Amino acid sequence: MTTNTTGNAATAAGTIGQAGREGGTSVLLRDLTRAFGATRALDGLSIEMAPGELVALLGPSGCGKTTALRIVAGFETADTGSVLVDGKDISSVPAARRDMGMVFQSYSLFPNMSALDNVGFGLRMRKIGAGERRKRAGDLLDMVGLAPQASQYPHQLSGGQQQRVALARALAIEPRVLLLDEPLSALDAKVRLQLREQIRTLQQRLGTTTLFVTHDQEEALSMADRVGVMSNGRLEQIAAPDALYTDPATAFVAEFVGVMNRIPGELQAGDQVTALGGTLPVRGHRPKEGAVDVLVRPEGLRLEVVENGNGIVTTRTFLGSVTRVGVQLSGDVAVQVDRPSAEAAALAPGASVAVSLPAQPVLVAARRVS
Amino acid sequence: MATLAERASEGIAPPRRRKAAPLGVSIWRWVVLLVTGAYFLIPLWAALRFAGIGAFGSVVGEAGFTSSLALSVRLAVITTLLTIALILPTAVYVHLRLPKLRRLLEGITILPIVIPPVVLIVGVLAIAPGILKGTSLLLALVYVVLAMPFAYRAIDAGLRALDLKTIVEASNSLGAGWGSTLWRVILPNLRTALLSATVLTVALVLGEFTIASLDLYQTFPVWIYVNSQTSGQVSVAASLLALFVTWIFLLAITVVGSRQSRKTGGGEVTLFSVARTETRGD
Repeated sequence: MTTNTTGNAATAAGTIGQAGREGGTSVLLRDLTRAFGATRALDGLSIEMAPGELVALLGPSGCGKTTALRIVAGFETADTGSVLVDGKDISSVPAARRDMGMVFQSYSLFPNMSALDNVGFGLRMRKIGAGERRKRAGDLLDMVGLAPQASQYPHQLSGGQQQRVALARALAIEPRVLLLDEPLSALDAKVRLQLREQIRTLQQRLGTTTLFVTHDQEEALSMADRVGVMSNGRLEQIAAPDALYTDPATAFVAEFVGVMNRIPGELQAGDQVTALGGTLPVRGHRPKEGAVDVLVRPEGLRLEVVENGNGIVTTRTFLGSVTRVGVQLSGDVAVQVDRPSAEAAALAPGASVAVSLPAQPVLVAARRVS
Repeated sequence: MATLAERASEGIAPPRRRKAAPLGVSIWRWVVLLVTGAYFLIPLWAALRFAGIGAFGSVVGEAGFTSSLALSVRLAVITTLLTIALILPTAVYVHLRLPKLRRLLEGITILPIVIPPVVLIVGVLAIAPGILKGTSLLLALVYVVLAMPFAYRAIDAGLRALDLKTIVEASNSLGAGWGSTLWRVILPNLRTALLSATVLTVALVLGEFTIASLDLYQTFPVWIYVNSQTSGQVSVAASLLALFVTWIFLLAITVVGSRQSRKTGGGEVTLFSVARTETRGD
């Protein structure tokens, strides 16, 4: 599948969902820029996607992630830069001939067609005969668990069902790349969770290279092979979910992904920072010397119950195996600390505690003026 | 497929349940209904009495009946086709690419209602090229202008009820070019809107008198008027006939449109717009 296979991809018979595409498709976004008026939606974005990989683009609204996806889909054009699929520049190929399956944020099923006809639409456009088309559309509906709803119209389906049909429709054309534009954000929490797992399972089974845009970090971290965090049209960092969480490259990533405490500290010469009465080595990017904030995850802080400690417990939230404890430190600094729930009994609001930093390298960021 | 779909849709349309109105309101409803009913039906009944059943038989044989009716029907067909061919792509394009122009377009399309028909036809006759003068195409072109406000509104309402941008993009990403997208995705979803536009255009053309008579065409309404000078009864019978035919036509379109609309979850077909509750902004 190295060349444009508008016809071949569709005519290649075979049971969908067994082998998927051997080798998959590689995708390269190279130095994309796009400006809307004065705002730069994309400012030199480059991402390389390995065949069969699921890459999530994560970022606050307006960070350019959707623009990037729409450029790959062919609905927007980049001012500069190019999109390469399997090494070929597709910038001049119209959306209809890119062979990319897309699932949209809003419900995008054709209201005049039944679920089965919706799924079969792409095959129809590829001139697949009615019998074959129905069979394959039926298989795909079965794959997303909606075979009984085949003859229903979109308005008779729930939101989650509609998005599953939309997913089946996008996969029916055996796309070279699957594009997911916040497909779960219109759904309620429970359905979102189910569908999240379903999408990931299907994607892995089919080995379809997938670009997934979301503003929900949990979604990105749980589904993607790699997550690209975007801000102001730029990629801040792209890494595997665990690396992103444990080893964020920038303060933006550190705070956007997961919960992060900011503890005032003083940056010394020689990559040392003093905070909470200790001195620690600094890792990663560092601002100018002087007043900084040390960035620490709730599970990265030590907490002991002591008389006359440096903090007072204010809140205690049970989260299952861990309990999140809110602590008010002197100087109007509030931090959150995770403790195993079994040990949290003593940490009732009002208890005096000592919060300290373990002797490990920490991330720092310029002091936030608040 | 159709049978499957129809079976599936049976019993899906939510039953309309109305709260019982308080007695006072209920009585007022009937009073209003009766008064309005009388206002509309008494003239019809009077016309029917005046013409007599016998007149209906002789209408058909009257000189000019067939030719004038044929002309009116031809004009209705041409006007409808031209109007839709003109308005539909424009409205779709504006919705997709130039949403800011929607207001302006709405303003422009209302002009034919504001400008008196007399002014319009005098202007048209002054500038119309010689080739068109005296042909029914000229009249059809004028009717296209007159029908524009109604047709545009109907189609615009239909488009607004769709998430057009997403649907078009979905269709594109599945490999459909513009032709297929328009034919297989947009048009079927605008069915009720197009029916509304057609109904309004046809009704307008079948009833238009001023322009046709000023331009010396003997359309059906003009023929009825001319005929009334010689035979009052026959012309009244012809009017009633025209009224019933148009009415049945409108009813048929509304019923067919509503049935389709129920199947695909579309809005009610009304003669002026096809409104669907919008669930999200565009």
